[in-house]
Amino acid sequence: MSNSKNFSLIVPAASDKGTEAGTMPHIFSTGRDGVLMCVKSVLGLNLEAFDSIYFTILRKHAEAFDTDSLLKLQFRRLGLGNVNIVILDEPTATQAETIVRTIEKEEITGSIFVKDADCFFRAEVFPENGVAVYPLEHLELVDPRHKSYVAVDDMQHVTNIIEKRVVSHLFNAGGYCFEDVAKFLKAYDKYASLGHVYLSHLIYAMLLDGDLFRPIQVKEYNDWNIQ
Amino acid sequence: MEIEVKGHSGCQIDVVREDGQLYVYKSSRDPKYLARLALQAEKQHRAALPELQHIRVPKVHAIDRIDGMVSVKMDYVYSKNFVEFFEQAGFEQVGYLVDALIMYLEREIKDSPLAVVPRSVVTDKFADVRDKTLANKSFEGDGEIEEIMDASQRVFDALSDMLIPVGTCHGDLTFSNILFNGNNYYLIDFLDSFIESPLLDIVKLRQDTAWLWSQLMYVHPCDTIRLRIAFGKIDAELDNYFASRYEWYGRYYRPLQLMNFLRILQYAHEPAVIDYLKQAINEQLKEF
Repeated sequence: MSNSKNFSLIVPAASDKGTEAGTMPHIFSTGRDGVLMCVKSVLGLNLEAFDSIYFTILRKHAEAFDTDSLLKLQFRRLGLGNVNIVILDEPTATQAETIVRTIEKEEITGSIFVKDADCFFRAEVFPENGVAVYPLEHLELVDPRHKSYVAVDDMQHVTNIIEKRVVSHLFNAGGYCFEDVAKFLKAYDKYASLGHVYLSHLIYAMLLDGDLFRPIQVKEYNDWNIQ
Repeated sequence: MEIEVKGHSGCQIDVVREDGQLYVYKSSRDPKYLARLALQAEKQHRAALPELQHIRVPKVHAIDRIDGMVSVKMDYVYSKNFVEFFEQAGFEQVGYLVDALIMYLEREIKDSPLAVVPRSVVTDKFADVRDKTLANKSFEGDGEIEEIMDASQRVFDALSDMLIPVGTCHGDLTFSNILFNGNNYYLIDFLDSFIESPLLDIVKLRQDTAWLWSQLMYVHPCDTIRLRIAFGKIDAELDNYFASRYEWYGRYYRPLQLMNFLRILQYAHEPAVIDYLKQAINEQLKEF
């Protein structure tokens, strides 16, 4: 597949939600293999497809826990050369805002793949609109209330994506691809003022505007929030 | 299964099982409402006669006038309300709904020849609305309401006779009065309108899609952002469609939407609703 357009991987790791004061977010802890959770979250992707990789973190976590240094050590150890650490001075209100701040700060153009930092899956991704999906019935443990669900038609087009309502056996596995970052920003600008806008809201808005999204079937999904 | 039915007109609503079928009985003993309820039922009965794609109207089986009471028996429809529909509708379902609504409105337009509606119909209506609004105790000493009335008076004074389609309309075509059953949409609660025009139905629809009225009235938790995204899309589709085809829409939509909101304002009592209406009306007044 041609990769003439710029293709960036963004890993938002700047959430302040659910973190008690003075404690490090769990995505910066390591597994028994010594790899940080948020770094491991991307290791199931075909990383060679990306021109650049961005991990976005909070300054307060960097200052308190050296999360930026931890990440750099990991990248060196894993031989990842095209990784950038983006430090935000202030927490954002939503994951979508974190991504937008990253795009603006790094002047990212082309296509982006957004990967949640708190889960793992294997998938081959391409610079085209898509949502990572995994079948609910393949999970042994699941909290269905905290996921978004994805409906797919017979032509393998995403027809719907909904927060916290089980309308399909496919749930969003924590990966989103936007072929044109400008369209993503346009959708965000239009709806950000409405409140807590999820990425699923923006994808729904883009679906209504006629943009096509494909399901990205993932394997070996592992949700670290459940374990 | 729990069956939730709710009326907005003060009528009593009962769901009754007869011979294995469910029926809705809508009735009133309010002497001021008896004739109106019967007229509304007859309007619904007429609307149910033509077969339309996707748009359905529950069949009216009987209109009984007995002992100071009017009782209307109609089919019960298993359905979702608009929030349940929009919280789950994919982009295709939203598209089908827009197509069906446009088809329904086009049918109304076809049945409604262009006619001149004298400006006095609007100015007389506004005089009545103004009197009722200023008599509403919730607005006593409210300078903002008086400013709204004065500004609205100027809008309607500047209005000329209107050449618009006149003949048929639902009368209260908001999402609250649509029941959603798959890709079929059942219209309920037909009302008499001060001008029987399809333009008034477009006005009522956009009361929801542009101004989110039914969403404001919905009391249960829901994904308001998703609804606003869907409503915004539908509103743009409706506005683009009618603006590109009908001169009367571009010319008279705004004053009639203003009148529509003023007609709601005259009976408003709840502070949150009053605040919303004032804001919506002031925003609309800026467009004149």
